[in-house]
Amino acid sequence: MGREEGFQLIEQIRGKARELLEGKQISCFIGYEQGTRGRARPAFIYDPQEVERLIWDGRCTHNLTVYLHQFKAPVKRGEPPPRVGILVKPCDARSLNILLHEKQIDRARVYVIGLTCEGLAADGQLLERCQRCSERVPVVYDLLLGEKPTMIGQEDYADVTEIERMSPAQRLAFWAREFDRCIRCYACRQACPACYCFECVAEQLDPPWMSIAIDLPQKQFFHVMRAYHLAGRCAGCNACEEACPMGIPLSLLNRKIAREVEALFGYRAGQDAITPPPLATFKKEEDVPL
Amino acid sequence: MATAFEPRIVGFLCRWCSYPGADLAGTSRIRYPPSLRIIRVPCSGRVDPLFVLKAFREGADGVMVLGCHPADCHYLEGNYHARRRYALMHRLLDYVGIERDRLLVEWVSAAEGGRFAQLVTAFTNRVRELGPRGGIPIDRAD
Repeated sequence: MGREEGFQLIEQIRGKARELLEGKQISCFIGYEQGTRGRARPAFIYDPQEVERLIWDGRCTHNLTVYLHQFKAPVKRGEPPPRVGILVKPCDARSLNILLHEKQIDRARVYVIGLTCEGLAADGQLLERCQRCSERVPVVYDLLLGEKPTMIGQEDYADVTEIERMSPAQRLAFWAREFDRCIRCYACRQACPACYCFECVAEQLDPPWMSIAIDLPQKQFFHVMRAYHLAGRCAGCNACEEACPMGIPLSLLNRKIAREVEALFGYRAGQDAITPPPLATFKKEEDVPL
Repeated sequence: MATAFEPRIVGFLCRWCSYPGADLAGTSRIRYPPSLRIIRVPCSGRVDPLFVLKAFREGADGVMVLGCHPADCHYLEGNYHARRRYALMHRLLDYVGIERDRLLVEWVSAAEGGRFAQLVTAFTNRVRELGPRGGIPIDRAD
């Protein structure tokens, strides 16, 4: 994305957001704005005059679909829930499909501006997950902006295979070292669009699945539980790993499952909003290697 | 005092096939190791993978999930769901360092008392070979 093109794109996004807000088609537009310390942060634009705050560049890594959960309930009782506009990258578009399939949001209540994506590069360096990403055009959108990209990444699961090659004891030690850093802040869960349970297993008191102790067995339980709950639902946006203050490589867990789900059930999360995720369905005559 | 390692195994047995199967093994006086602690559940589809995870967390050396043979489920489709869940859970547990052989998912009908005893014996032997799961070793970087 050249500088000039990027500038044009921002203007297009702002223009569309302004048009939607002025026409009262949406009550809020969710995009990105300049944050503190040179970072980008999510922006919630309610006033058409404020669309100038919107930006779009390589720092906009957040998956904005997580904020759609805040717009599920009506503002006033008796009214329909507000309609919102949202900016999605190809990775985010797949999580949006998951939410649509799970009936978390009504498709008619969200206006989706899809952005084609060449991969995000914060400081001239393409993000690791973008190097692996083979999706450059969102799977769901109302309006598609941006040039059709040419560069396609290749997911080879090299890092996952590396862990698979270890002995069980080595794997246990590897994950113990990673999970041991966890401070149970649940930032991974909060950043995840697919983690929207009203009451999370981690905090449920009846039955008490986990204690509040910050000890390794509890932390291991939490992370394996979360990874499992996302099985076939994780779109691989990597929001969890990016939110983690302790740098735990959660994508290694999620991508392992994504790989197995694809191998076992031929399913890729969020490709459309119709196909049920593999653990919500079954075939009688299938050969599932236990 | 050194005592031989005797694994602690938690078994989730479906109320319609596997539990009566275990019962048949008992009434038929078939011997099997006392390492198994049986928890009766309504269906193998009732066994949330978190049960297995929790059992491991609380110190189980091995976990068995036994249900009706496919197409024999009392609730028609519970074991089909279980089959998919555990295919994935197996791989995930293995990936985080809990050996594949510590979790056994099998189908045992109410008539298979002998097979039940065989499965428990073989599984206990395998887990005994693997040794205690024990605590998780931490190699702290700092």
